[in-house]
Amino acid sequence: MNIKELEKLRNEGVENLPSRERRTFLKAGLAITGVFLGGTVLSLTSARNVGAVVGSMPKASKFPYSPHYTMVFIQNRCIDCERCKEACTKTNHVPSYGYRTTILERYKIIGPAETERIFMPVLCNHCNRPPCVRVCPTKATYKDKKTGIVMMEPKKCIGCKTCMAACPYNARYFNEEIRAVDKCNFCFDTRLSKGMKDTACVAACPAKVRIFGDLSDPESEVYRLIHAPDKVVWVLRPETGALPNVYYMND
Amino acid sequence: MKLQKKIFWTFWVAACAGLIFSVGSMATSEKKNSEPAKNAPAASGDKEVIIDSYGNTLILAKEPVELMFSHKSHVIAAGLTCDDCHPDVFEKKRGSAKENGDYTMDALNEGRYCGTCHNDDIAFGTKAKDTCKTCHGSDMQPPKTIIFDTPVKAVIFDHALHTEDMGLDCDSCHQDLFKMKVGTAEEDPHAFVMDALYKGKYCGACHDGDQAFASDTRCTTCHIGVKGFDRLFGSKTPDKKHGGGEH
Repeated sequence: MNIKELEKLRNEGVENLPSRERRTFLKAGLAITGVFLGGTVLSLTSARNVGAVVGSMPKASKFPYSPHYTMVFIQNRCIDCERCKEACTKTNHVPSYGYRTTILERYKIIGPAETERIFMPVLCNHCNRPPCVRVCPTKATYKDKKTGIVMMEPKKCIGCKTCMAACPYNARYFNEEIRAVDKCNFCFDTRLSKGMKDTACVAACPAKVRIFGDLSDPESEVYRLIHAPDKVVWVLRPETGALPNVYYMND
Repeated sequence: MKLQKKIFWTFWVAACAGLIFSVGSMATSEKKNSEPAKNAPAASGDKEVIIDSYGNTLILAKEPVELMFSHKSHVIAAGLTCDDCHPDVFEKKRGSAKENGDYTMDALNEGRYCGTCHNDDIAFGTKAKDTCKTCHGSDMQPPKTIIFDTPVKAVIFDHALHTEDMGLDCDSCHQDLFKMKVGTAEEDPHAFVMDALYKGKYCGACHDGDQAFASDTRCTTCHIGVKGFDRLFGSKTPDKKHGGGEH
């Protein structure tokens, strides 16, 4: 068929489509435009494009948690000084064989004889559909109903390590001293519950790589960064469907 | 009795002198043989302090004149008379220049002390590319790379790339932007920061987006991180401070 002929075709509309077919089509459309439904509604493309599909931006009141804690990484600012890691181990008594947050390194080829070094900070993504919580046989790990933080109750942990296998982000380790799996909890017990507004790693970062805040608050910096229409924001391993709450972008 | 005492004391003094002499010569021969490792411990208590500077060259803080200055070549080869230098440029008393506290390369560059003649006019200048080693020793090798680990770990500086490939002179950076002495910039970790670079200090003098890439871009060109540092120097033993065993 010629492309000119295509223009002459009459629009059949969607009225005649079976509802199941229409639903699949819409789902595909949502997936392509980067909209994820479930728990929270977030746009990974600019608001304008999404508007055509789902109407206006979802209201902040629809966020399942309040505060809905989120961390945004501005990845190209990271220089791997690992002060975040130091601060984390100090604050949360993380042993040397484990980590709650760490920095990954990779090389990107940017020219015929040029590579770019990229440092990628990682931690628990505090997913909205956490695979680790789903597999835990004793409910030792759970999604906090108020803040959305994926927490651990070490007393309930039997050390089966199924959560470690289930985590798509390798964000858990087995702490030999407490005989339980340990993980990032956004410094909830050590800082947030004591009235501090950020985590130890955020406070320690000299390059302002990590931005922490409440995504349900449209005034917060994390909200502003994630909803900036001119920036590409991505999450790690979106194909797992875990709906992570840790976002990445470049300056 | 008196004579015996006298003999005893003479022996005692001679023995002491002998001991001091042998220890002294041992120390100097040791110093000559030893590799000038980066963190060569300065002999404590010894007034001779080794400043590891500019590559593998040993620069001795003690009495620079002894090792750096050839009086003979100035008097005989250059044909200078005593009052060319004494007492206006240098006091005749030994060590008096050093006592003044300003007997530094900065002073020389301003035209004091050796700089009175060594100003690129009467004699070779104190700032030119290859003259450093004329006074400071002939084994002077510029370092290939420099790794800064303060205030953040770690930053790599390709010295050879800047001096050889780009052809910068010593005084393009030394002593205004960076001192020759290793670790001087790191001594003030609150000043040696990116904000200072953005204001045109340190690397920022050239890395301003005009002469060289701006220092607020391409972060990881210089920042090799803890991982890069460990690759170069081997990872240090696991830090026990925050580790297990405390619980």
